[in-house]
Order: sequence, then structure tokens, then C-alpha cells
Amino acid sequence: MTTTYTTISFELIDGIGHLQLNQPPSNEMTLDFFSELAQITEEMHSVSEMKALVISGKGRHFSSGARLTELIPTTWDGKTGTAVLSGSEIEKFLERNNRSFLFLENLEIPVISAIRGVCLGSALEIALFTHFRFCGEDAVFGLPETTFHLIPGIGGISRIAALSGIANALEIVLRGNTFPAEDALKMNIVDLILPRREVVQRAIEFVKSLPADYRKEKSRLYLRRYINHQKGSILYIENS
Amino acid sequence: MSTEINKNNVTWTVREEIGFLSLDNPPENYLETPEFIPLDLLKDFIGTNPLRGMVICGVGRHFSAGAKLDNLYELSADAEVLKIKMGQGQHLLSYIENLDIPVIAAIKGICFGGGLEIALASHIRICSANALFAFPEVNHGMMPGLGGTMRSLQISRFPEVLKMILSGDIVNAEEAVEMNLVDKITPADPVEEAFLLLKKMTTDKPLKVIQSVMQAVRNSKALPPAEALKEETRLFCELAAAIAIQRSSGSANGNE
Repeated sequence: MTTTYTTISFELIDGIGHLQLNQPPSNEMTLDFFSELAQITEEMHSVSEMKALVISGKGRHFSSGARLTELIPTTWDGKTGTAVLSGSEIEKFLERNNRSFLFLENLEIPVISAIRGVCLGSALEIALFTHFRFCGEDAVFGLPETTFHLIPGIGGISRIAALSGIANALEIVLRGNTFPAEDALKMNIVDLILPRREVVQRAIEFVKSLPADYRKEKSRLYLRRYINHQKGSILYIENS
Repeated sequence: MSTEINKNNVTWTVREEIGFLSLDNPPENYLETPEFIPLDLLKDFIGTNPLRGMVICGVGRHFSAGAKLDNLYELSADAEVLKIKMGQGQHLLSYIENLDIPVIAAIKGICFGGGLEIALASHIRICSANALFAFPEVNHGMMPGLGGTMRSLQISRFPEVLKMILSGDIVNAEEAVEMNLVDKITPADPVEEAFLLLKKMTTDKPLKVIQSVMQAVRNSKALPPAEALKEETRLFCELAAAIAIQRSSGSANGNE
């Protein structure tokens, strides 16, 4: 990695890549952040010594998500009846985000989100594209987009529906309310709840324990094994 | 509150933009035909009022005990007629499942066979602690015929669904939640609970937002993940553009 990033920090320690959303305190996902994310995923192609990737937020929170006002076309040309900052530009922007998220999902190494504090909107969406989600007991989740008369646009709806079923997806998305870690665990949105201070360290420990022939299709199996080993030292274990 | 319409063993009412479709053939609310309400009639009900959600429930103590066996045996005398009637029933349930407003089944007492299949075609299921669920078809040498097998497998686990369908055993509310067949148990009246949840989900939201969410959720089932993701982005962009139009016309008016 050669480029310097302002909204993201990236370090490779001991073969583990650490990607941090780096705009504390809320680590809001600005347009700059999404650009840098696209850039960094390009660069990651060349980091062959990376054995796993851990995504977290700097400071108290994972991230409060995107600034929705940035995603609404700001001017409108009444004469031609088209938006000047057109929907298609926004569509292009979002499609690039989709590519960044899909890149993380399609990595052949383990990719895990270590979630502390708030994880809302697009922040939850990025986490849904990682292979595992560990969170702190203080974590708060939500997809508030509909309360701004928008919808989650980068996979929030379809991924939640796939993980927790249509009934939960509808309630989460249409109500737009926040919910705590225990609810996220019950709905299969997170895999494990840990003491806040241990989340990142445990995520690292977990990915280090995974076999060299890692396959994300076996994620449930890996989790069960890890949890069985850790019994007693974990706050809440996975339901199923 | 609109006037109550009672036809074909169903009652239709509307309260604060939420439609209530009550199975009204007490005490068991048997379904006289697989198409328990003529599709056109349901379309009329839904089309008359601008709705933001719908509750399906049963009149009295029970949701529904399912198909009336005598009628079913009568229909079965002619294989062609039976096929057509079952097709109509399936079509009706797909129509409900694909509505672009959220539909909640509010379940009290017995919810068997065809009744359970109606509940499974709804988007969310809320039940009272006394609710009972079963696929009793096997006891009469039959199997669920309105998509119950398929839909229960989409939300529950294979071994439990198989056991339920092959044994005809009754499952109580807690077990139904445990196997994901039902989303929540409420100590209150499930009809009221469904109404309140629909209000929380839909109040102050433009209909277009609700419809987009419904569309995206449907896509998650119908399309491969990559396609569903693309469509979700497209739906988002449409809404963002609509907000932009609204704002600019708002500011244009302000300038006048």
C-alpha cells in the first residue's frame, strides 16, 4: 500500500489487514470515504501476504453510516425536467460502492467486522458483506433510511432478508428504529457478542485460528468450532 | 373507519389506512373453497382505499381450521375441477404475498391447513399464546396444496417442517416461534398488535418508499443476490431523484 488515506487507516500486522474507518467520533461515511474505499480495494489486490482482513471503526463507534443528504441530487432543472446532479451520477456512485462491498465479500481470505458502538445505515450494509460479524455488548444497529424517505441502497434490504427473513427485514427497514446487540444476535445479524474492549482482539484471534484452506461457505462451521472452544469466556453465544 | 363489508365468508374493514381481512365463517372459520375470497373481490377491497398495510385475521376465537373437508371431497370427484380450484387458491395466495404493502397475519386459536397456508403467504405472523398450528392434511390422505410446504421450508428448518407435515402433529405458539413459523407471540390481542406494528412501519412514510421496500424484499427471494443488489440501488436512486424533484419544486414555489 502506497497511497495515503485520510478517511481510512490500513495496517498489515502479522499478516492480518486492519481496515479502520477513521473519521472519529462517528466515522461518518462521507463521499470521500467511499472514494477511498474503492481505491483501497484496488490496492488490496496486490497485498498477497494478507491472510485475513478485520474491519472496525476508530474510537467509540463503528460508524453512523452515510450522510444521506449527500446522496440526493441537489439541483433540478425545471426546464428540461431532469436533475442536474442526475440520478444516474448517484447510481454510478452507488454501483461503485456495491463493487467495493462485493470485493470484500468475494475475498478468499476471512473478512470480519468488529463492531463497537453504533453501526447504522451503510455501516451496517458494509458489515453485512463481510463473512463474520462480532460485536460489543454496547453495539447499536439500525437501517434508518426510510425515516428520511429513502431506502437502504447498498444491499441492506436484500442481505438482511437473506440473513434474518422477510418479516425481520420489513420491520427493521420500515420502522427504521435502532436495536441492541442481543436483538441483532437473535435475528442472525451478528455472530457473537463480546465485552466491548475485547471485540477487535477477539476478531483477530478468531481469524488467526481459521485454517489455511479457508472457505467462506463454511463460516457457520468455523464459528461453531470457535465458540465451543471459548465457552465460558464469551458473553453470549450464537443461537443455533 | 369505513363501513364493514361482509361477503363470501369474509369481512372487510379499513381503519386508518390499514385494511382488515377477517375470515368470517365461525366458529372454525373453515375455508369453503381454496380461493377463500374471489381474487377480484379482494382487488376491489384493496383498490377502493389507499392502503398502507393489511391484517388478515379470523372472526371469533380462531384464525381458521383450513379447508372444509366435505367441500374438498366434493371437488375431488372431478380431477379437472379440483385442479382449477386449487390453482385459483394458489393464485390468490401469490397475489397476497406479492402485494406492495406489508401484510400481517394475526393469529388466535386454531390455524390449520389452508389457514396456516394463508398465514404463510403473509409477510409477518403474530400470534397469541393460545394459538395452535398444524398441517392435518396427512390425516386425510392428503398434503398441503396451497404452497404451505414450500413456504414453510423457506422460513423454517427442513427436519421440523417434514415432521409437522408427515405427522399432522399440532405445534403450539412457543414451538411455532422456535421453528420460525411465527415471528412473535403477544400477550395482547394479536389483531391490535398487528395494527400497531403496521402503523409504526408505515406512518409518515410516502407510499413509494413502502412499495420500494416491498419490491426490494421480494427481489431478495426472486433474484440472484447480485441482481437483487443492483435493483436495490436502482430503487434507492429513484427515491433520491423524487426527493430532489420535490425539493426543487418546493423551493420554486417559495420563490414565487
